Amino acid sequence: MANTNTQQAARTSRTGRRSSTRPAVRGKVLARVIVAIQILLALVPTVIIAIWAFADAWPWPDALPQAFSMRGMDLVLSGGAGGGLDSLLLSIGIGLASAALSTLVGAMAARAIALHSWRGRTAFEFITFLPFLVPATVFAMGVQIVFIRIGLAGSVLGVILVHSIVSLPYAVAIMIDITRAAGTRMEEAARTLGARWPVVLTQITAPSLLPGIISSMTMCYIISVSQYFLTLLVGSGKVRTFALVLFPYLTGGDRTVAGAYGLTFLVTTFAIFFASEILLRRLRALDNAELYAA
Amino acid sequence: MARSAAQPGQARRMRALLAPYALALPAVALVGVFLYGTVNGIMQGFGIMPFLGMNEPTLDYFAMVFSRPDFTSSMAFSMRISIVSSAIALAGGIVLSWALTRAKWGRFPQLVGLQIPIMTMHALVALALVFIFSGSGLASRALYFLGLAASPTDLGSIVGAPSGWGIVAVYAWKEIPYIAFCTVTIMAHVSDSLGEAAATCGASGFRSFLHVTLPLCLPAALRAFLVVFVFSLGSYEVPFLLGPTTPKAMPVLAYMEFTNPDIVNRCYAMALNGVTALVCAVAALVYFALILRERKQEGMRG
Repeated sequence: MANTNTQQAARTSRTGRRSSTRPAVRGKVLARVIVAIQILLALVPTVIIAIWAFADAWPWPDALPQAFSMRGMDLVLSGGAGGGLDSLLLSIGIGLASAALSTLVGAMAARAIALHSWRGRTAFEFITFLPFLVPATVFAMGVQIVFIRIGLAGSVLGVILVHSIVSLPYAVAIMIDITRAAGTRMEEAARTLGARWPVVLTQITAPSLLPGIISSMTMCYIISVSQYFLTLLVGSGKVRTFALVLFPYLTGGDRTVAGAYGLTFLVTTFAIFFASEILLRRLRALDNAELYAA
Repeated sequence: MARSAAQPGQARRMRALLAPYALALPAVALVGVFLYGTVNGIMQGFGIMPFLGMNEPTLDYFAMVFSRPDFTSSMAFSMRISIVSSAIALAGGIVLSWALTRAKWGRFPQLVGLQIPIMTMHALVALALVFIFSGSGLASRALYFLGLAASPTDLGSIVGAPSGWGIVAVYAWKEIPYIAFCTVTIMAHVSDSLGEAAATCGASGFRSFLHVTLPLCLPAALRAFLVVFVFSLGSYEVPFLLGPTTPKAMPVLAYMEFTNPDIVNRCYAMALNGVTALVCAVAALVYFALILRERKQEGMRG
C-alpha cells in the first residue's frame, strides 16, 4: 500500500515536473557533447605529431603524406652524440631522482602541515607554494649565477635539485590530502602495541601513503621531463635532457624529426602515467579485498 | 627512579614539540634555494652584483626599462596574452568541469580529456598547432580542398602572428583541462549533495548551479586561475616558438638581454624580471588571501 502511494507520488511529481525534466535531459546531452569534443581535442596533437613522425614527404596541398619512413624514429632511438636515446635515458634518470626527492621532502612537509599544529605552520604552507607563483624563468635567470659560483651549474645534480624545487608544490599538495586521510590512528595503535618507529614507518605509514607517493612521483616526473628553460640555464646547456635536444627541432624545418622527438616524448610520458594508474587501481582493489576479508 | 621516569617523558614531549620543525626543514631548504636564486636575480636588476664588486643599489636599470618603448609594448603584450589565456581557461575549465560532472561517464573521460593535456609538454602543443595552422599546415590544405585557398601563403601562419592567438590557443588547450581538474572533484561532490537539495527545493538545474555549485567551486577555480596567469606571464617556450618578433613577450625579451655579453644588458634583463615578479607577487598575495578567507569561512561553518 505504502509502496503504491510512493509510486503514485513519484509519478505525479514526474508529470508535474515534465517541463523541467526536458531541460535536464538536454543538459545531460549538452554535457556529453562537450565531454566528447574535449576527448577528441585532447587527442588531436598526439595524433598529428604521430603522423608527422613517420611522414617523410608531405607536400602542400596533399591531404595525406606521399611517403612514410623511419628516418625520424631511427635518429631519435639511436645512441651517441647525434641521437636521442642517451638524452632520453638521462631525462628518465633525472625525472625519477627529482621526483623521489620532491616527494620525500613533500611528504615530510605535508606531515608537518596536516598532522601537527605549530607556530609558523600557515606561513610554512604558503612558502611551499611559492614555486607555483613565481615564474621559473625569473628563478632560472637568477639562480644561474649562484649555481656557477657554488659549482652546481652544468651538473646533473644541480638540474635534479632545481627540478625538485619547481615540482615541490605539487608534491606537497598531493601528500597533504593523503596524509590527512590516513591520519595517525593506525600509527598510534601500532605504537601502543610496542612497535618502534622504523617498524611504524615501514609497516604503517609508508603503505598508507603509497597511493599519494605514486601520484606525486608521477606528477613530479612529468614536470621534470617537461622542463626546457630551467634545464637549459641551470645545466648550462651541458646537461642534455630530452627536452633540451628536442627543442631546437621545433623551430627547424625538419618536421619528420620534430614529430619523431615529440612522439617519443609523449609515448614515454603516457606510458609512465598509465603504468602508475594501473598500479594505483591494483592498490585500491587490494585495499578493498582486505577490507572485506577483515 | 622518579627522575629516570620523568626524563624519557620530557624527551618525548620535546621531540613532539620539535617534530614539525624537523619535518619542515628539507622543504624550507629547497624553497630557500628558490628564494635565494630569485632574489639574487632581482637584486641584479638594482645593479647589485657582489661577484663583480658592484654593491651600490641603483634604480638606473629600472629607469631604463620604463623608458624603453619595447618594454611598454612587451609588457602590454604579455599581460594581454596571459589575462586572455587565463580568463579563457577559467571559463572553459568551469564549463568542462560541469560537463564532466553532468555527463556521468565515469573515469575514462577524465583520464583522456584532462590527464593527457596536463601531461603534454607546452612546446609540443605548440608543435602540433604549427602542423595544423602554419602556412602549409593541415588547415590551409583543408581550405585548398574547399577552394578557399590557392597557395600556402593565403592563410596567415600561426607562427609570429602579431595578435599572439597561437600562444593563447596553446595555453587554452593546456589550462582549460587543468582548471577543470582542479574543480571537478569538489563540483561532483557539491552537485551530489547540495545540488540534490537545491533541486528538491525546486531550484532549476541552471539556478542551482549558479547559486549553489559555482560559489562553492569558485575559490579552487580562482586559485587555479592565478597559477595559470602567473605561468603564462612568466613562461618562455610558447611565446618563443609562436610569438611575433615585436613585441616580444617579457620572458623572451628578458632572456635575449640576459644572453647579451654586455653586463649592462644583464642588469636590464633582471630589471625586466623584477617587473614580472612584482606582478606575480600581487597574484601570490591574492592567492594566499583567498586561502585564508576560505579557511575562515570553513572555521565559521564548522
